[in-house]
Amino acid sequence: MKFVTKLAALSLLVASFGFSNVANAKDSTKPIVIPIHNWSSQIVMAYVIGGIFESIGDNVEYVPADSQAVYESIRNGDVTISHEVWQSTFGKSFYNAMTKGGVIDAGTHAATTLEEMGVPTWVVEKGLCPGLPNWEALKSEECYKNFTTADSGGKGRWLEGPQSWHGDLMPERLKALGLDDKWTVKFAGGADALWTELASAKKEGRGTVVFNWTPNFTDAEGFTFIEFPAYTDGCRKADGGEGKCGSPKGWLKKAANYKFPKTHPHAYTIFSQLSFTTPQIGQMAALVDVDKMDHKDAAKQWLKDNEAIWKPWTQAGM
Amino acid sequence: MSSQAVDSTADEPVIRCESVYMIFGDNAHSMLQQANGVVDAAKFHEAGCIVGVNNASFEVYEGELLIIMGLSGSGKSTLMRCISRLNEATAGKIYIEGEDILAMNDKQLIELRRNKMGMVFQSFALLPHKTVLENIAFPLQVKGVSTQESMQRAKEMVDLVSLTGRENYFPRQLSGGQQQRVGIARSLAIEPDIWFLDEPFSALDPLIRKEMQDEFLRLQDVLGKTILFVTHDFDEALRLADRIAIMKDGIIEQLDTPANIVLNPATEYVRKFTEEVPREKVLKIKSVMDAFDPGEDFSDFDVQQDAIIETVAEAVLNAGKAVRVVDAAGETVGALHASHIVHVLFGGHTDHAAEKTS
Amino acid sequence: MIEALRQKKYLQFILLVIFFLILCVVITPSEGNWFWRLPPLIKELPLIINNGVDYVMFDWWLIDVWDPDIEEYEEKPLMNQFTRSASGVVLFMIEFVREIFLGGVKTIVTFTGWDWATENEWARWPALPWTVVAGGAAILGYALKGPRLALFVGFTFVYIAVFGQWEPSMETLSFVLIAAPMSVLLGLLLGIWAFRNKYVEMVLNPILNVMQIMPHFSYLVPVVVFFGIGDHAGAIATVIFATPPMVRLTILGLKKLSPEIAEAGLMSGCNNRQLLFKVLIPTARRDILIGVNQVIMSCLAMVVIASLIGAKGLGNNLLIALNQLRIGLALELGVCIVLIAIMLDRLSLAWADKQVDYFADLSFVERHKFSLMFGVVFIVGVLLALIGSLVFKEGFNYLYLIPHNKGITTQDFWQAGVDWVWDTFFYALKSFNEWFIVEVLVPVKSAYLAMPVAATFVLAMGIGYIVGGARVGLAVGGFLLFIALTEWWDRALITAYLMTLSVLISTFIGVVMGTLCAQNPVTTRIMLTICDTFQTFPSFIYLIPVMMLFGVTDTSVLIAIVVYATVPATRYTIQGLLSVPPQLHEAGSMSGVNRVQRYLAIELPMAFPHMALGINQTVVFALSMVIIGALIGTDDLGQLILKSLSDKDGVGNGLVLGLCVAFIGLAIDQVLRTWANQRKQALGLA
Repeated sequence: MKFVTKLAALSLLVASFGFSNVANAKDSTKPIVIPIHNWSSQIVMAYVIGGIFESIGDNVEYVPADSQAVYESIRNGDVTISHEVWQSTFGKSFYNAMTKGGVIDAGTHAATTLEEMGVPTWVVEKGLCPGLPNWEALKSEECYKNFTTADSGGKGRWLEGPQSWHGDLMPERLKALGLDDKWTVKFAGGADALWTELASAKKEGRGTVVFNWTPNFTDAEGFTFIEFPAYTDGCRKADGGEGKCGSPKGWLKKAANYKFPKTHPHAYTIFSQLSFTTPQIGQMAALVDVDKMDHKDAAKQWLKDNEAIWKPWTQAGM
Repeated sequence: MSSQAVDSTADEPVIRCESVYMIFGDNAHSMLQQANGVVDAAKFHEAGCIVGVNNASFEVYEGELLIIMGLSGSGKSTLMRCISRLNEATAGKIYIEGEDILAMNDKQLIELRRNKMGMVFQSFALLPHKTVLENIAFPLQVKGVSTQESMQRAKEMVDLVSLTGRENYFPRQLSGGQQQRVGIARSLAIEPDIWFLDEPFSALDPLIRKEMQDEFLRLQDVLGKTILFVTHDFDEALRLADRIAIMKDGIIEQLDTPANIVLNPATEYVRKFTEEVPREKVLKIKSVMDAFDPGEDFSDFDVQQDAIIETVAEAVLNAGKAVRVVDAAGETVGALHASHIVHVLFGGHTDHAAEKTS
Repeated sequence: MIEALRQKKYLQFILLVIFFLILCVVITPSEGNWFWRLPPLIKELPLIINNGVDYVMFDWWLIDVWDPDIEEYEEKPLMNQFTRSASGVVLFMIEFVREIFLGGVKTIVTFTGWDWATENEWARWPALPWTVVAGGAAILGYALKGPRLALFVGFTFVYIAVFGQWEPSMETLSFVLIAAPMSVLLGLLLGIWAFRNKYVEMVLNPILNVMQIMPHFSYLVPVVVFFGIGDHAGAIATVIFATPPMVRLTILGLKKLSPEIAEAGLMSGCNNRQLLFKVLIPTARRDILIGVNQVIMSCLAMVVIASLIGAKGLGNNLLIALNQLRIGLALELGVCIVLIAIMLDRLSLAWADKQVDYFADLSFVERHKFSLMFGVVFIVGVLLALIGSLVFKEGFNYLYLIPHNKGITTQDFWQAGVDWVWDTFFYALKSFNEWFIVEVLVPVKSAYLAMPVAATFVLAMGIGYIVGGARVGLAVGGFLLFIALTEWWDRALITAYLMTLSVLISTFIGVVMGTLCAQNPVTTRIMLTICDTFQTFPSFIYLIPVMMLFGVTDTSVLIAIVVYATVPATRYTIQGLLSVPPQLHEAGSMSGVNRVQRYLAIELPMAFPHMALGINQTVVFALSMVIIGALIGTDDLGQLILKSLSDKDGVGNGLVLGLCVAFIGLAIDQVLRTWANQRKQALGLA
């Protein structure tokens, strides 16, 4: 009996302690691990978010990670957050990890994204495919013959990202739209292959259809996305539809490890509220891509110039 | 190597082997048990076993130099490796200074090797990454002797084998003869009681070999170790040995003094070796001397009992009378007659053997 | 006729090819025809592996662990706890070395905790000024070898500092300084174990074979699942990649020793440990050092890949630079990687050759001259840094740490170079490229894909049988069967097509270059250095220029593979030719042969077994580059391995795909190795 009361007292003590702790909600001093991928806006934003966390006294650590494999790491707690989850490209990995458990959805940025096939704007201006950006233009021979390559067997070529990004989405779309006798899909190995293709096509003045997204550094040069039939829920082959649709205006989400709200309640509040717009992200990327700044310096610069934007978020968390 | 050791172990041989067998093969043990001590090499070979040593029994005494002689594949090196326990003998007993070496555990064995044994190898087996000095100091260092002390000792050994000035050379920078000097110095660094030499001079040019043999005799004169020496060179054996064990197919065909082997080969195999040997170059005076008879008329000079016949033959034959034979101390030990010499050298085989040396 | 067939191997080959062609014509391509394609019976294997790994990592042996962050008990699987602790140890070592160079707080945190370190802002480990590190390294080079090494080491560090790559380089260096010794140690231990126990060797051998050919991408996901993400994960993946050659060479070196060396050690009174570490290993040093060299090269070759799973440093920066198409910057980073590789290699060699003088009567100053020199460098470096902090009031203290990308740079120069190449060669290359794709690549690829599976088996197993008898034939068949039963046979055919072409080209270039360079010692040395360079130089860098010139096509993939895979072909050709005994040259000259005759009739046949091993290595290198090819864009196994990084069944997929690649290599390895050994025996070289 005595033992039981003691136990009860103890549990009460523990409970109250726990409760008081929640009330005081102080962030752990353990570092928040932010992943670094390999494109400019993501890296600068990593340092920007890191800087915001540091401004409230938290410790931050950066770790290079593969942009696909990172969700598994967040799930396991090796990485704390991911701040650029692109719907089309990383949606699958993100949801896979969420189903397995351990990853939470930490809200969405204001920026909308578009990930779609398109052409450099100069290709349109040069009239290599009259009628663009409407997809119907792809049907005509005077269009697709300008986009053939040696290994495309006389068809026009779409240079899609690696298969890991959207599987067979593009080949299926070609087929559904009845373009597959005129166009073929080639999977590139990575983003740098896409940029190289853009650069070399420009030098040569040759037409090219590549997968691309916005916001991206290519926006500055001018890039025209092809307008496919509008996206509706379930229109894709993989979702049981016919596949006759383009990409949706996508979201840009934030992901976090499930413990993050408990270990760093303040930082988590900031992170879940924080939201960047398309121009802001473009700004960050431009500091590096256009002004040739170092990523860290670019982040510092951005934080200095945009206190009005991020300071309120830190207040809100208090 | 104090004289005290000689006294205390006067009766106990330094090395004693009793029916040692070394048979290679997976089922060597069971086959040996079935064979009941009588091993037929050919039969064993059929069963996938190779007979290395077949029923070897002998002793080696303090300060003695026993040479194991045989052609390649005769099992001579195997026998030596059984005694140093580099090979585990399949059966038999081996005693080192009365201690059963086959019963020793690893620790005791290491102790034994660290303190009592030294070995020289045919291919020198020097450590290529260590200098002359480091190679020689190596046995001391593994024993745990301090660097300073072991280097000091190694330096002495370098001087002993006349390599002064080459301390910091690497083995690859030395000639074959010099490398073997290092090998010798290394094996002597811990002042072993028992010295194993496995064809130490076989890899050397004839001239160098002769030079090294002289060097070896000089060293042995100074050090007086108990030595087991393996060679395939009969001349070398005759030149150096106190006693020779001649091996064939793992069996010791004959074990005796050089003189007795030359004069009385025990088997046909041994005879083949001895046939070509010029006896005057091999035999010592003591093997042809007769008992001393004070009444005889002696010439006015003495000969040493250890002198090779060839070196004194002309003087003795010209003397016309008997010659007194003396030992190292100058004591008269026998008499030498010209007729006996002639008989031994040209007259075929004598029956009355020379005295044993041991 | 039958007798002739038994005697003449080429007749057997001709018959085999005829039979193969007949099969190709007779068998009709259709889904249900097992002679056309086997059903994917082991389709589920990746899933099984995946579930197995998931079970071990997440469900097996759950224990309650107090999580201080969320102040709750959490159920955690034992395995996970175990691997995370192991990761922690590796990570600590890396961070420790890193903070010696760059300063930081992690080491202090390890002993005090984050709370304490956050409260006490002063408790930060200061970085060494770069001048001190460079000077210290140069002194080390001087102490180990002499002024030339000192100069080279000093130059390396100054280059790194001046080009503003100090921070990433030190991050990479600290990572390599842990990964390389780990590989060496692990390789030595496994090698010794295998040397002492033939059963271990029997088990180890096939594992090593697979590990050496398996593309490193395929075990990235498993490493991440087991050990998490970060420098330690990179280090572990690197160790997996770099250890096999070390094990191999350790076994080889120990086996080559004469038994008398071991006996000499035993008779000197060595115990087991002394025998091993003081006698056997140092004596087998030559081969073991080649192993160390391989480890260092492999570690730096992995720098970029390792950054995909969290290794900081040059590799990561390189990837980022490439993504911005900043080839000049990437090139500078690549040069840093190569310089570090060569420097570490030379230092480790010098260390192994170090000699001690025992009798030199040294004064205190002489005995401690290197420590004293370092002391001086340290003080001067720190003083300079202090002066620097006064001089460079604003911005960066160039005498302390040259910040990232604030050094001088030659980027624009290289960029201009690339542009120039483009402008000059593009159109000429374009027509070649188109011809090559249309006339060579596309037809070959279609031919491969048009092979019925039965015909492929007959051909491969037949070659195995003719070369090495039933055993080799069956082994080859076994390897192919595994691939044929997965659902990736067609992908494997594409991999095989890329590999075959690149091996042919590489071998041709390698043999020609190797032969030319082996003619005199200077060119030989230059060529071997070039080989070292290309082996460590991150292949990613030349992907971009190659893609610029040849587009996202198989030509680019092929070129990327060839650049890398030519290295072993060249290296082994040179070594093979050098190993031809000089008496043979003399004998040839006395028979009155001219130079060409001598080469064709004497040197080439004698060097052939060696070169066959080179071709074998070329196959291995080509297969391991398949994945780099995937980064350009292919539709072979490589692309799928890349995809497995984001798969939810990534672990299983990656491993099984990796096995498929490895098995292609092993099948070829079986045939080539058997053949080379036969030739060796015939020539009396073995």
